[in-house]
Amino acid sequence: MEDKGDVREGLMGTLRGDLWTMAADPLPRMNGPRWLARLPHVLVVVCAIFMVQSSSYGSGQDPTIPVLAMLQATALVVAMFLPIPAWWASTVIMVIGALIVEHSSATWDIPRGGMSFPWSIHLMALQAGVLFLLALRVRPRVVAETLGITVLTGLACVYFVNPSIGPGEIVLAIPVLVTVLAVGVLMGIGAVLRGERVARTRLFRQQQLTAAERARRTVLEERNRIARELHDVVAHHMSMISIQAQVAPHLVKDPPVELTENLAGIRQNAVEALTELRRVLGVLRSQDALAHAPQPTLDRLAELAGSVRAAGLTLAIETTGEPRPLSPGVELSAFRIIQEALSNAMRHAPGAAVHVKIGYRTDALAIQITNTAPDRPPPPAGPGHGLLGMRERTAMLGGELAAGPTRDGGYEVTATLPAMKPPAEDPP
Amino acid sequence: MTTIRVLIADDQMMVRQGFTVLLNAEPGIEVIGQAVDGLDAVAKVAELAPDVVLMDIRMPELGGIEATRRITEPTGATVKVLVLTTFDIDEYVYEALRAGASGFLLKDASAAELAHAVRVVAAGDALLAPNLTKRLIAEFSRVTSTPRAPLKDRVGDLTERETEVLSLIAQGLSNAEIAQSLVVAEQTVKSHVGRILVKLGLRDRTQAAVYAYETGLVRPTGY
Repeated sequence: MEDKGDVREGLMGTLRGDLWTMAADPLPRMNGPRWLARLPHVLVVVCAIFMVQSSSYGSGQDPTIPVLAMLQATALVVAMFLPIPAWWASTVIMVIGALIVEHSSATWDIPRGGMSFPWSIHLMALQAGVLFLLALRVRPRVVAETLGITVLTGLACVYFVNPSIGPGEIVLAIPVLVTVLAVGVLMGIGAVLRGERVARTRLFRQQQLTAAERARRTVLEERNRIARELHDVVAHHMSMISIQAQVAPHLVKDPPVELTENLAGIRQNAVEALTELRRVLGVLRSQDALAHAPQPTLDRLAELAGSVRAAGLTLAIETTGEPRPLSPGVELSAFRIIQEALSNAMRHAPGAAVHVKIGYRTDALAIQITNTAPDRPPPPAGPGHGLLGMRERTAMLGGELAAGPTRDGGYEVTATLPAMKPPAEDPP
Repeated sequence: MTTIRVLIADDQMMVRQGFTVLLNAEPGIEVIGQAVDGLDAVAKVAELAPDVVLMDIRMPELGGIEATRRITEPTGATVKVLVLTTFDIDEYVYEALRAGASGFLLKDASAAELAHAVRVVAAGDALLAPNLTKRLIAEFSRVTSTPRAPLKDRVGDLTERETEVLSLIAQGLSNAEIAQSLVVAEQTVKSHVGRILVKLGLRDRTQAAVYAYETGLVRPTGY
């Protein structure tokens, strides 16, 4: 029983989340010229006016129908901006129609007598328009939900108006079937159009990202190249200074000791500067090489664990949840945080056992690195940038990091990195 | 002891004059000329027949690498080239060694290092700065991919002992060290080295070291 209650609650929660909202995809951009940008709005308004207009003609028609048509037309226009609230309004108008309309223009003969719809064909067309605009702007699941709610409410209304006909017969009546099918197809078309648009947008965004990444790498390479050239030039001049300082004492007969010493000092400084330059240049070059190497991901954790174990650390790795590929930023940061924490453990807690926990949650990746108390006093530690770096990485991704000693004398680092599952387009 | 005759090729007057002063101050070394670019260097070598050429890598008209190739290519050329560089390990230096240079030297070397380099290269009994040279060759022989297939076949011509000597040369050992390692007279090693160079068509032990790495006779190990 409790399970059922949970399921129902979950379903209601989902529906509330999906349908009690103003949110919808933004209006798609028009590719045409600027003055065409408002064309869809104009068309919708024209369509609404036309429907209201034509709904007032017809003999023996209920006078409330044009009023309802006007409201439904308003909902259609609103659907351009707020599709979900407009759909609610439209559904409410449908129910009101069923309650007050007495002589509808939509009446059919069915095997056992007549069947009338509580709405005119105009009202239904306008409502179908609202549903179509909705389907263009929301996820397929929401489309299915709204379609289901609309159809069920509609069927209830028809049953309310035609109490003589049984519910089973109403569902199987041709006009009902045709209407439901038409609305379903219409919303289906809307959903497919949206799907294509979403795919196109995603592709476009991907291309933009790739282009941005390429631009960034080009800038980095360029900067590296400039730095290298600068270093080359400076090193060249430094070499000249060192040669000249060395040659100068040979140019005079019996150079005074002070002069020789002074020149030796100049040469010494030049040589030291050159050594420094070579070191920096070596870094620049190795960075160049690194830039082309792929960044590590959690896939390489086993490799890391191997090298750490080889260095004498007792290490256990535990993974909970279902591993899934995460965004490169999260993967890299997670790897680096674990790497940093392990190297800290090695430095500050020699002989300790380390436990790494990696939890794949639906909305985040949780990492915990715990080490027991060291079995011998750690060597005096200099200030490290490890924790700071970890904090920066975590903050950059909007996550949380906590680090501190544990009760048993060990140390613990916990990081939670937001990592949403890619939004499922369809209900499972 | 005969005087080592040196030619200095560098487009910077400061370097030419500086090195001339420093080398002329050393006993047994005499600077017999200066060249201002690669073409000039080739011409001066033909004209003055020096024992050692100090060659800058970056020069106008003709770069140091190509000049080295032209100077060392003719069969029977005994002149040794010592490449001058601002940075120690780079692909240009390696290219220069492949082109026929016997060693390389930093421009900020001290007068003593400079003189030592000239003497070692002129004698040809050992690699100059064996560790550095070995590292350079080991690092870049993997990167450079110009095949040396025709040379590879000739390794088969070497006797077992000669192959052994070749791999010791590649590891940076001097003749004296090889003699000690193989427990033979240094003169024997010298004749081995001579035969190796003749059989492989190489001009000196630096070339032999490059050759040994590029043919895979010696594998770069952890350095």
